[in-house]
Amino acid sequence: MSSTRAALILATFLGGLVMGVVIYAVTDKGAGANPYASLPKTSEPAVGADVARALANDDARALSNQLDMTVLQQLQTAIDPLVDIRSIKFVGAVEKNGRVLAAYVAGGRTNDGTDIVRGFVLRVTGDQIVGVN
Amino acid sequence: MLGLNLIPPLVRTALSMLIVGGLVGYAGTAFTTTLVADSGLLGGGGESNDAHKYMIALLQRESDNIARLGPSRDVVSRALQQQNVSQQPQDVKPLTVTYLGGGSSGRVSVQIYAVEIQSSTGQYQFLPFSLTIIGGRVQHVD
Repeated sequence: MSSTRAALILATFLGGLVMGVVIYAVTDKGAGANPYASLPKTSEPAVGADVARALANDDARALSNQLDMTVLQQLQTAIDPLVDIRSIKFVGAVEKNGRVLAAYVAGGRTNDGTDIVRGFVLRVTGDQIVGVN
Repeated sequence: MLGLNLIPPLVRTALSMLIVGGLVGYAGTAFTTTLVADSGLLGGGGESNDAHKYMIALLQRESDNIARLGPSRDVVSRALQQQNVSQQPQDVKPLTVTYLGGGSSGRVSVQIYAVEIQSSTGQYQFLPFSLTIIGGRVQHVD
């Protein structure tokens, strides 16, 4: 009889636990509502993928062929203080009136060996990267 | 309290366990999800609540919220920031705010947004914002 009682108490505790998790999942509002409209996501532009590949492969020659000096300097500012890029991830892009903003997150190390992440956005018009933020 | 005595002890215990289990489940899930989001254990690709609130505060010029969600600063720096916010052009209207994505490493996370704004003179801009968040506070906006 006492083992049945213990099992019943344990079962109600576990039932409550599951109920608590479900209530949290239902009531959690996450990041909250966006009071503004959003643009639909678009696919990664090919020129952006080329730049990301060159960064991931530590390929300075490819980068210098793909970007002009002004854009390269903007990219340098955007990823500073990363000196050793270990990963590049395309996270999303949006397009409006032929202008694409493609966002990337770069992970790696700084000069003093600290692991950090930096986000940067390539501004693409046509098939050209016209700027980096 | 008198009414509780009318409930059989076994049912009373079971109800107590149900309530305790519910509280443990709710609080445990809240704690775990916050910990995972802040530490970036699962890559941190989802939109952070702090980044979302900061972005909205920035666009709606809520200087108090910007100060609360931004880096810890001395009183003079906070006063300067409030002046900066109040001196920004008031006729700029955000049209769209799109969360593009993010990533994290340890306690540092990056959240990226694309924003369309238009001034009353019709000037239109399509801008990206990259927020760097450490320990639940926006440390840097690019």
